[in-house]
Amino acid sequence: MTSLTELILFLVVLSDFAVLGTSRLSSCIRAVALQGLLLGLLPLVIDESLTRHAVGLALGTVAVKAIVLPAFLRWAIREAAVRREVEPLIGYTASIALGIAALAVAFAVANVLPMRGGEAELLIPTALVTVMIGLTVLITRAKALLQVVGYLMLENGIYLFGLTQARRVPFLVEAGVLLDVFVGVFIMGIVVFHINREFDSISAARLTELHE
Amino acid sequence: MTAARLLWQLAALGVLLVAAPLILGIARKTRAILTGRRGPRVWQLYADLRKLSLKGAVYSITTTEVFRLTPLVVLATTLLASTLLPLNGQRALLSFAGDFAAFAGLLALGRFFMVLGALDTGSSFEGMGASRDVTFASLVEPGLFVTFVALSVAGGALSLSGMLGAELWLRWGAVAPTMVLLAGSIFVLMLAECARVPVDDPATHLELTMVHEVMLLDTSGPDLALVLYAHAVKLSLFAAIIVDILVPRSTLPPWSAIALLGAGIIGVGILVGVVESTMARLRLSKVPLFIASGSALGLFGLILLLR
Amino acid sequence: MLTAAIASWSLRRHAWGDRVFASAGLTGCVTLGVAAVYVLGARDSASLVVPATTPGGDWIFAIDRLSAVFLLAIALIGGAAVVFGTSYMAAQRPHRPVWFAHSVLALLVAALALVVMAQSIVPFLIAWELMAIGSYLLIVTDDEDAAVRRAGLIYIVATHTGTLALFAMFASWSAHTSDWSFAALASAAPNLPNQGTAILALALIGFGLKAGLVPFHFWLPPAHAAAPPHGSAILSGIVIKMGIYGMFRVLSLLGAAPPLWWGWIVLLLGAVSGVLGVLWALAQHDIKRLLAYHSVENIGIILMGLGLGALGIRYGYPALALIGYTGALLHTVNHALFKSLLFLGAGVVNHATGTRDLDKLGGLARRLPFTGLTFTVGATAIVGLPPLNGFVSEWLVYQGLFRAAQSEDLLRLAVLGVPALALIGALALACFAKVVGVVFLGSPRSVAAQTAHEGDRGQLAPMGVLAAACVLLGVVPALGIIPAMAVAVNVAPELGATLPDAVAVARAGQWVGAVAVALILLVALVFALRRWLMRRSEIRSEETWSCGFEGTSPRMQYTASSFADPLLSTFGRIGGVVEERTPSSYSSHALDLVLDRLVLPAWDRVHRTALRLRPIQQGRLYVYLLYVMVALLVLLAYLALA
Repeated sequence: MTSLTELILFLVVLSDFAVLGTSRLSSCIRAVALQGLLLGLLPLVIDESLTRHAVGLALGTVAVKAIVLPAFLRWAIREAAVRREVEPLIGYTASIALGIAALAVAFAVANVLPMRGGEAELLIPTALVTVMIGLTVLITRAKALLQVVGYLMLENGIYLFGLTQARRVPFLVEAGVLLDVFVGVFIMGIVVFHINREFDSISAARLTELHE
Repeated sequence: MTAARLLWQLAALGVLLVAAPLILGIARKTRAILTGRRGPRVWQLYADLRKLSLKGAVYSITTTEVFRLTPLVVLATTLLASTLLPLNGQRALLSFAGDFAAFAGLLALGRFFMVLGALDTGSSFEGMGASRDVTFASLVEPGLFVTFVALSVAGGALSLSGMLGAELWLRWGAVAPTMVLLAGSIFVLMLAECARVPVDDPATHLELTMVHEVMLLDTSGPDLALVLYAHAVKLSLFAAIIVDILVPRSTLPPWSAIALLGAGIIGVGILVGVVESTMARLRLSKVPLFIASGSALGLFGLILLLR
Repeated sequence: MLTAAIASWSLRRHAWGDRVFASAGLTGCVTLGVAAVYVLGARDSASLVVPATTPGGDWIFAIDRLSAVFLLAIALIGGAAVVFGTSYMAAQRPHRPVWFAHSVLALLVAALALVVMAQSIVPFLIAWELMAIGSYLLIVTDDEDAAVRRAGLIYIVATHTGTLALFAMFASWSAHTSDWSFAALASAAPNLPNQGTAILALALIGFGLKAGLVPFHFWLPPAHAAAPPHGSAILSGIVIKMGIYGMFRVLSLLGAAPPLWWGWIVLLLGAVSGVLGVLWALAQHDIKRLLAYHSVENIGIILMGLGLGALGIRYGYPALALIGYTGALLHTVNHALFKSLLFLGAGVVNHATGTRDLDKLGGLARRLPFTGLTFTVGATAIVGLPPLNGFVSEWLVYQGLFRAAQSEDLLRLAVLGVPALALIGALALACFAKVVGVVFLGSPRSVAAQTAHEGDRGQLAPMGVLAAACVLLGVVPALGIIPAMAVAVNVAPELGATLPDAVAVARAGQWVGAVAVALILLVALVFALRRWLMRRSEIRSEETWSCGFEGTSPRMQYTASSFADPLLSTFGRIGGVVEERTPSSYSSHALDLVLDRLVLPAWDRVHRTALRLRPIQQGRLYVYLLYVMVALLVLLAYLALA
């Protein structure tokens, strides 16, 4: 099963890069949805015995991360009439370069960390890199919608960390993560609407104007 | 023993060189079928080459000997590069430590002369093509070497024959997913280096949008045949690398290794056709991002191998 | 053997003096070359001891293998420069003291030879300074131009800063020895504090300033662009290599492998110099400045080899270390050959057309066929393409990087050099495609380019010799690899145990030669094939196809700037290239990040601070006496308190 796990983790990293490299909002959302799907598959593949817990976790993750949230984001694009381009603060090639650097750092750090991913030794570095790329997206993409995407990736990374502990601390962690994501996106959605109503644009950079 | 090995190597090389124009024909046919047309026969390029080589030549009055030399160098470098690749699963015809640099260097020499030949005509269109070509090439080159170094780490070898042949086979099982990444990287680089969609459109006839074709505007007759053939060989060289990465064949008997190579190359040709019919040509300013993403795949593979 | 040459060179004022100068110079260079070949071939070394007349012990001169390699390059390039210079300056005889330029050149060559032969501190530093002054005088040969004087000023300040670092280095080193010979330094090496950390740092600064690696390169492009062509050839081909020589010499004297940080810094600076150098070169429109920036790039490649070598020893991979050192040494010699060839070619072009602006040239291959041919050979070599010599040394460095990637240590990080070197190679290809294409091919862009004339035999012969050397070292790589390996073993004796690897590399080198020969044969074969195909067909000449548009003109061709534009808009930001666009025009220029953003502002600040001190200068005697008094009191107070 290890090579299947590895393949899925590869695809997770590639979807990270897809978010960094694409210029279309819809592709970003599709990549995050794909990532959610992959994350949902992971517990099934890692735990060779198909416990009810693993199946439940998988179904829940796929439902939330791959279906509900992307649909929600697409709806937000439509409702708020957002421009469908990413409009990043730094270039796409530079973003990819940053991503590669993050990847290198993640692998270097993963060897030092005391945690172990069990059979799936790629799990920790993938989690790290997803967190870092999520942060990169949060930092370099000013659009509120992409901030949501970045936040989602961050959550996905944390979820991957959670998977390493899945056996020891069952269920609670994951449920918390799911809830967390849901609430986070919900709040951001409300924020999106507010910004949209007030300024007719949803660039988070404009949030500074609220300062006065 | 050695004589037999040499014969098999030559046979593999012969198959590659004879079948090279076929891969372009297959790519074109696939594209035509997928877009609902009938398209030219897959053998069309052979007929084109024959027709061109029987024609006379027209040379521009601005050109010098460099222009006449260009097709010769382009073909010679490509042919020589093809002797460096292991084609039948065994060692290549020429194989030594660091031959990967010779492989890349030969292709670069071909490009150097291609660009010089284009600038020799003094045409602004060809200058434009040359300028774009070197720009894309300077993105492809690092990506290509990253893939090479990843392969050399995977196989623990310093020559292409080891990286893509016997040594790789011994460790293939442990690194299979990474190999898929590297093959993907080479595929993207191939599209850029051999001027296919989405980097360049070989079917276009508008000079302003061409990259590679436009450098040949003044090349005619046998010269054009030489360059077109070299181009086809180059594409099948990259295809052969992909096949070598994905389907290690060093334990197979030579004939089946060669048959697999042929099948693999045809597969790559079909894949190129599929890409061409499903993707649009990228805006020029987006091409660097495309190539960089391809190189990023290779870097990802490298990081995985070095971890 | 040299003194005779110097004496006979410096006295010439008359026209016939030129011939004497050339023959004396050539004799001197041939003598040097023969001596170098002898030392490289035989195993012993020649030495000469001049009894002490200054403090610091005897003056010792000797040629060992390390000196011999550099001496050979000096002899070859020096000879080429002497012949070229004689012919080049002859035209300027009426309005310029040509003898002065000649004797400066002679002095410089002699100083260079002394630098590599000196085996004790005092003569080394004297020769070093002679070299610096000689270079300065050569740079300001055309001193009626303000830009030239400025370049000279920047150069002299930079080089003296470097010498200062060298003084500090030797001073701190010789504090541990009894006399000032290199042998004594070597025997004191094990007693140095912190494995000679301070020495290595100072050597990197002092010799780095001479070699022109980023960030110490800022003086280099203006200086090398300002000198006459044979001067630039010597400066770029040899003088900056003295920095490399110095680093190798210090390494060999230290005996033990340098610490890790040194190797990593050298490797990193090498990669940075390489990439930035070639990027800045791409943005140049002045052919000589462009070539000068390529020197920065190639020094980068050399340093990458050097850094790999140092790291290889430290991490315990002697084969890798051998390849790294060999690559660095070989690239040093190779770069000397093709860079001086290119500078001479640029000199002929400049002489023939009166301009160095790429955008005003074009189509020169028809008017200057021999220069065009040799320049193309040099360009192909510097890009590192087979079948020429540049490829051989880059092949070695690549191999070193790949071996580093396969290692099990932190050394694997050196793998980042692979894409850097590939990028350098590809950008250099773009840059030289631009130079050759824009200068020699296409149609002329100005009247000057239309009426250009080929240089005379005295200018062409040296270029021919250098080009032949480039081809020879490419087709028979063993000629370069084996001596370079011997020198590498000389520098780091622990590499002596790597004989099997050395044999393997040399054998692979023969394959590289085989590829070169096969390439040439294949081209001939394809040529015959085309001949045969076209044996009966009609060959016509027509205007260049312009897609149905009538009335094309040379002005419509792609210029150097437009050729480089897509590259610069992709990569330019890394190197601080500024692009300006209007609907009808486009221009680009490279900001020198170090000179324009760092050195000059810093200098300005120093200047302004100094101005603030001005009120102290009152011009009255009693005020100064007051200062003396105050200073004395402060000192006394300090003593009392301490």
